[in-house]
Amino acid sequence: MYQYDVIDRELVNARTAEFREQVSARLSGALSEDEFKPLRLMNGVYLQLHAYMLRVAIPYGVLSSNQLRMLAQVAREYDKGYGHFTTRQNIQYNWPALVDIPAILDALASVEMHAIQTSGNTIRNTTTDPFAGAAADEIADPRPWCELIRQWSTQHPEFTWLPRKFKIAVTGSPADRAAIGVHDIGLKLVPGDKGIMGFEVHVGGGQGRTPRIAAKIRDYLPARELLAYLTAILRVYNLAGRRDNLYKARIKILVEDMGPEAFAAAVEETYEAIRGRDLAVPAEEIERVASFFTPPAPGRALENAPTDPAFARWRRVNVKPHKVPGRAVVVIALKAYGQAPGDASAAQMDLIADLAERYGEAEIRVTKEQNLVLPHMDEAALPALFEALKEAGLATANAGRASDIVACPGLDYCNLANARSIPIAQQISMGLEAAGLDEAAGEVTVKISGCINACGHHHVAEIGLLGVDKKGEEVYQLTLGGVADGEAAIGKILGPGLSADDAVRAVIACVRVFADHGANEERFSQTLARIGTDPFKEAVYGA
Amino acid sequence: MKALTANRLTDGKVVYRTSEGVWSVDPAKAEHLTEDTAEAALNAGLRDILTVVGPYLIEIETGAGFTPGGRKHVREAIRLSGPTTGSTKSMPGARHVPV
Amino acid sequence: MALDSARQIARSTTELPADIEPAEAFAAAAWADQIDVRFATFKDGRGFSLAALLRQGGYEGRLRAIGHLLPDQKDALLRSGFDRVQADDAGEPARWARARAAHIYQPDPGAPQGRHTALHRRALAVRKARAEALAQELEGADPETILARALEVYAGRIALLSSFGAEAALGLHLLAGTDPETPVLFLETQRHFAQTLTYKDQLVSALGLKDVRVLEPDADEAAREDADAKLYERDGAACCELRKVRPLARGLEAFDAVITGRKRYHGGARGALKAVEFDGERVKINPLAFLSPEDVASRFTALDLPSHPLTQIGYASIGCWPCTTPASEPGSREGRWAGEDREECGIFDPALEARAQRAGSIRLI
Repeated sequence: MYQYDVIDRELVNARTAEFREQVSARLSGALSEDEFKPLRLMNGVYLQLHAYMLRVAIPYGVLSSNQLRMLAQVAREYDKGYGHFTTRQNIQYNWPALVDIPAILDALASVEMHAIQTSGNTIRNTTTDPFAGAAADEIADPRPWCELIRQWSTQHPEFTWLPRKFKIAVTGSPADRAAIGVHDIGLKLVPGDKGIMGFEVHVGGGQGRTPRIAAKIRDYLPARELLAYLTAILRVYNLAGRRDNLYKARIKILVEDMGPEAFAAAVEETYEAIRGRDLAVPAEEIERVASFFTPPAPGRALENAPTDPAFARWRRVNVKPHKVPGRAVVVIALKAYGQAPGDASAAQMDLIADLAERYGEAEIRVTKEQNLVLPHMDEAALPALFEALKEAGLATANAGRASDIVACPGLDYCNLANARSIPIAQQISMGLEAAGLDEAAGEVTVKISGCINACGHHHVAEIGLLGVDKKGEEVYQLTLGGVADGEAAIGKILGPGLSADDAVRAVIACVRVFADHGANEERFSQTLARIGTDPFKEAVYGA
Repeated sequence: MKALTANRLTDGKVVYRTSEGVWSVDPAKAEHLTEDTAEAALNAGLRDILTVVGPYLIEIETGAGFTPGGRKHVREAIRLSGPTTGSTKSMPGARHVPV
Repeated sequence: MALDSARQIARSTTELPADIEPAEAFAAAAWADQIDVRFATFKDGRGFSLAALLRQGGYEGRLRAIGHLLPDQKDALLRSGFDRVQADDAGEPARWARARAAHIYQPDPGAPQGRHTALHRRALAVRKARAEALAQELEGADPETILARALEVYAGRIALLSSFGAEAALGLHLLAGTDPETPVLFLETQRHFAQTLTYKDQLVSALGLKDVRVLEPDADEAAREDADAKLYERDGAACCELRKVRPLARGLEAFDAVITGRKRYHGGARGALKAVEFDGERVKINPLAFLSPEDVASRFTALDLPSHPLTQIGYASIGCWPCTTPASEPGSREGRWAGEDREECGIFDPALEARAQRAGSIRLI
């Protein structure tokens, strides 16, 4: 993975020193809260219901064992012994004190980590395929480009005060495990003719209040022109994005208002005016960054696999094929039945760091499904890995299954929430376990958001729940048919809102309908298209 | 009845304004405010910029004790008692010994 | 929003709101030499793009950011093109005295082609080191070896620059035999001998060169700077600048390596030519560097290449017609800018070479 050079280190150190000074200025009153708030957001510091929340960047979801150990250390020393992995491949701590955050940032900087631009009206963490560099269906590894975008977007002097937050996702595979269809900018690596790698560019996707699928504005952009083109898109948005209404300020609204053709034309005009040698990525730099992302050496094949049915099941569900012989991709689902989705204790983080180091090239990934991945596992070590994970409650064989629920922090933590999501997820997962539905239904995505901001990505879930406030009561809307990866689609509301208990029952019932009616190999959307919503309505609302 | 709540500047902890005009983590010490006294308390609280962040008025049930009421009662109950999700620290693997 | 939103203050300072339409800002910039951009709130980032646009559009006057601004924004404001920041609320003076960022990931929006970014600096260090290693490897090598190696190392970002002059055929034939898809750049100065243009078409066709790119002066610039088409009489260096130097800079944008036809025996500053040189930004490949005039002549004969018609009547080196006269010896460049204190047009600039030497002072651990 990428290693900082002296310039990267100096920039992060300068930033932590700057924030230390800004915290002092707030504590002394030299900065008002109104002035301090955007500055602290730019350093990932939110104020939540109970406490500050610190969102640490995990650039494009890639972590080393040493970095994961530091995240565990921060959880132990400055928080309540756990962290939460997020739907944008970052990690959140729910209980840091503001006065401790400069020290936390110093500790993170010592392992080449930071919390820069994980919040605020800035360009956020660029996300990608958690199987990047390992998946056989990849056209090219997206991670070097993610690193180049990270550098270009860090403290960009022109784009630090955008109308609203800005999210970029990159996929190197046509399968698109990065959900580029619902990002402000979605980039797909495509081979050009003459074999010159390039990008297909999509703009204006997003979830939240007004979910939209992105429009494709360019079939092919030579890869070295990426930063110039991104600059053009951001400049058009910075100048023309709405600033009068918080809920109309994302680029998706601008693209819709202008129309994709007019928007694309504005971008092309700006791009032609600014492109040049200072923005083109030099070939030597592409080469240098790419050199940090090489495939692992072949591993050792697993001979004489244990006959233990639990191991077999875990291997079938959580282990994915790797393009290098003797290697495997292992999903560590942070979704034990009844646990808060995406949370890991400091001890669990340390264990995973050790296991990655021992068996998996010391590399870990974070997924937007709030799970962790060991991308380069040595196949022969799978049984040993399974045993170690099992002891720590990390071997739940439900990756991609109904109980692999994505849930935002919700009203248990978040200032913006209308309803709780984590306890709902906990109840659903225990109900699914009791009914054996994970096995019966196969792969299905369930996601829960506690408010219209949709941080739980419920819009793109096959079965989604949206928490709303109805006269002080927590009420849930059930949606069906969303798709995140590949051909993105927004889910549709099934019927009237449900109480918390009814919502739990409803989700389990919908999973059961899918288990009963889904044909072999059919994805949920295909089943839904085939049988229609009536069987689901009946299961949820009765005849 | 109302009370004035905020988050403490230094560590974000939930605090309530007392009748002495200081901020306490103990809800039992929160001053119960009426329609008449609420606005003055809020204005005073807004001036405590070196102590708290974002003070605002909440509804509480009349009578002894401190029970959040009104439309935001779930939210304020959670602010009072903490997340309702169960502790992650009690998950298996809590005592990991490095390999 | 009409221009009455711009207020004239003492001494022709024009004040613009940060949310003004860029087109209106340009109109103001056309006649103002001092512009203040007023930020109604520090959170509105439009002013940054506005400053960048004004600078990129050529505004060179004073540009000041005023209004509601934080000291924390100072560096970004200066990088975006403002040369001064004057916030309404001075706040704490100590907070305004802050160091500028030592390194930048992005070009300064208000000064493109200014400071090198970290990405560029890293790349130049590698490019320089590689060029030096290659120069050593190819010292004294023959043209075929030098060219093949260069096409390998700089694949996809190398072009050949040709004048289609007296000795051009050799280098072009070499390229056609190795990789005829390699772009060939020709500076159409609009002052060429007619024979040069005919010769060009003839050679391209005979050699099967697939990607010849004609680089012309910018029409607007030519209209402004050489309206009477006699600039060459008044100021030859300015004419080269308009018709060769600037078009070449544009044409070379996508290329990191340039193949030239330069030879040691051209004399002057070319006497110590290497096979590969680094000019501070690009690599120059000189496959013909080590050939003698006899080598050149015999290669010409052996390959039976057409010669530029003007070589038959005494032109040894051929450039634009206003500045080229016959010379006494084959291969000599004394007919170029004869009577002027120049031996180069400027597209190969010794000053750039010197900067390259200083570029070695970048050290990355």
